[in-house]
Amino acid sequence: MGTTVTHAPAMEGLTQDSEPRHGPVNSPRPAALKRRRRRENLAGYLFMSPWIAGFLLLTAGPMIASLYFAFTDYNLFDAPKWIGLDNFSEMFADPRWRHSVQVTLWYVVVGTPLKLLAALGVALLLAQKRRGQAFYRAAFYAPSLIGASVSIAIVWKAIFSDDAVVDRTQKLFGISAGGWTGDPELIIYSLVALTVWQFGAPMVIFLAGLKQVPRELYEAAEVDGAGTWRRFWNITLPMISPVLFFNVLLETIHSFQIFSSAYIVGGGAGGNACGPADGSMVYTCYLYVQGFENSRMGLASAMAWMLLVAVALVTAVLFWSQKRWVHYEEGAR
Amino acid sequence: MGTSRNVERRTILKAAGATAATLGLAATTGCGGDSGSSADGTVTIRYAWWGADDRAERINKTIALFHKKYPKIKVTTDFQPYGDFWKKFNTQASGGNPPDVFQNAIGFLRKYDAKNVLLDLNAQVKAGNLSMDGFRAGLETFGEVDGKLLGVPVGSNSMALVIDKPVYTKAGVKPAQGWTWDDFHAAMEKIRDKTGRAGDSGMYGVMYLYDLFLRQNGKAFFTEDGLGFAEADLTDWWTKAKQGVEQGIYANAKKVAQVKPKSAVSAELAAGEFTWDNFTVRYTSEGKSEYGLAPIPTTDGKHTGQYLGSLMLSASKRTQHPKEVAQFIDFMVHEPEVAKIMGYDRGVPATQAQYDAFKPTDEVAKSIAAYEESLVSAGVLEKITPHPNGADICEAAFLRIAEELALGTRSVDEAVKQFFTESKTALSA
Repeated sequence: MGTTVTHAPAMEGLTQDSEPRHGPVNSPRPAALKRRRRRENLAGYLFMSPWIAGFLLLTAGPMIASLYFAFTDYNLFDAPKWIGLDNFSEMFADPRWRHSVQVTLWYVVVGTPLKLLAALGVALLLAQKRRGQAFYRAAFYAPSLIGASVSIAIVWKAIFSDDAVVDRTQKLFGISAGGWTGDPELIIYSLVALTVWQFGAPMVIFLAGLKQVPRELYEAAEVDGAGTWRRFWNITLPMISPVLFFNVLLETIHSFQIFSSAYIVGGGAGGNACGPADGSMVYTCYLYVQGFENSRMGLASAMAWMLLVAVALVTAVLFWSQKRWVHYEEGAR
Repeated sequence: MGTSRNVERRTILKAAGATAATLGLAATTGCGGDSGSSADGTVTIRYAWWGADDRAERINKTIALFHKKYPKIKVTTDFQPYGDFWKKFNTQASGGNPPDVFQNAIGFLRKYDAKNVLLDLNAQVKAGNLSMDGFRAGLETFGEVDGKLLGVPVGSNSMALVIDKPVYTKAGVKPAQGWTWDDFHAAMEKIRDKTGRAGDSGMYGVMYLYDLFLRQNGKAFFTEDGLGFAEADLTDWWTKAKQGVEQGIYANAKKVAQVKPKSAVSAELAAGEFTWDNFTVRYTSEGKSEYGLAPIPTTDGKHTGQYLGSLMLSASKRTQHPKEVAQFIDFMVHEPEVAKIMGYDRGVPATQAQYDAFKPTDEVAKSIAAYEESLVSAGVLEKITPHPNGADICEAAFLRIAEELALGTRSVDEAVKQFFTESKTALSA
């Protein structure tokens, strides 16, 4: 808010200032151009200011505050008390915290590749011209639009309960595992299934990538006698590797942040927030429990920053690894 | 060029002005929520409680009644299920914006007193805005902490064994006052064998029941500032529990987890559950069977360790209208018409006037009244033991870890150790 008020008069002063300095010069054009650019920049910033204000007040401010809280004992009511690294040492010693890390890693490592495989597989099918293509694309994309909603999570919970669709289907095959949502081991797989089902978003990106692959390459390969698999492995995959990298990065980061589906399928209102025996207690769920149920905001902040560091590390490793498997076209980098 | 510059500047200024205005507006709406009183002297107070739709419907009717008597006090309402209620309350209270008046329970009194959230209503009693006379069975002191009046009881309840009556009849089990834990165990086996249903939903995780068991043995769940029992006590309790789960006398924890928030009794997974007696009302609306109340098993054939508990109405310290809040609470606990609307939804009315005003006609309410009368006539009611700051977190941990034990993800020793670690953290906070 402050920025908007102070900037308008400041701009006026700025234009007046620059006038006499550049006025007598032979060609006034560069100066005028510069002025104009400055004005445009300023206008741009002014138009962005609602967003900037929102970012500073609602995102950056709380983030910096939480960095401070991470080193304090803070219960929301009393003033935060500086305790140094105690939150972190408590976190590492807490078996529930370690369990939540394990559950989250399991979710990311199993869920993300499966989701990307599904996305790529369907994208390959949809990349070919066929009747009703637009319909299929829309149909496969739809889950991505609605999948993150609370209502879908509730439906999911119902599907994977005792004696519901999944349970009955597996009984047909002689598997009597019961409903997944009541089982500490199986509940995480119902969440994996939920994320895989939302493969539409990466699929669309894959589709765009596949369209970019030049036809000639395939034609040349065909002339040389390359089969479908060869063509996929030696042309398609290298050509879309930047897109694949982008999807891996995005989905991995996204997976680490899973919360609402785990919270609702795991229990939500009236139940345990984290599933039977913490079976679906992903990292953010435990963070929520510590922060909002146990009123330990200091510890929760420390956990949040720990997650940020972990995600940053994973991202760094992915970027480092891309040298080995991502092929950019000459000059496109 | 000159004109174009002017236009541009004006555009920019306009944009700036609009932005500032929007943000300014957002800021005013942001903090303009609780002005409270308007020009004509009408005062608005916020009232929040936990419960389900049926309770909300009843409470809204009582508020309409209140408006008739106090047209200058407007009451706005808000409710959530139990767990969500406290999360929201906690956030609001820490932000300095708690509801003016709200439903409260014993496990939260010391917690929020320590956080300076609760208003000492004694001043309002002295000022004549709130009467603490006419309460039954000594309930008027129930909401007192260190001489401060932090909550006013609305209805009494007590722990009970809520049972599915037809299942008990079919199994031929007739619980009687003074039955022992051995009798209880035998009854559970009988129910399992004769009806194929688990006898109980999982009593080993109910903190308020374990409290009764400890009280029967001269201990209690809590002391003033810590746990009132040793690791060996809990190891005993949970070792027996684990055997019970394996023998199928307690319901399959996997199935119980899936029917939540429905209870295992109304979902027909178990023949009974230890809980508060007024929950029979909820189970009746949830399930198809007929539900009744049975006595708490004893250790010595006599003492159940029971006490009368109660939901309360509390006021927040930051309210700008303590007088109106006190008048509101006074109306809600004394007005006979309110009792006729509320029934036994929040327990048996706490004041004699309200108790007399509501004569139960349905079987469920009758059985609750009869149950509480039987406790008085059997002389088993004792004094309540303390619930320190952190009791609520201990309760949640006790329930969760017991569930892990039943699901087999923790051994008894691990479970006991984990509970002691977590409760130590909660009680030292």
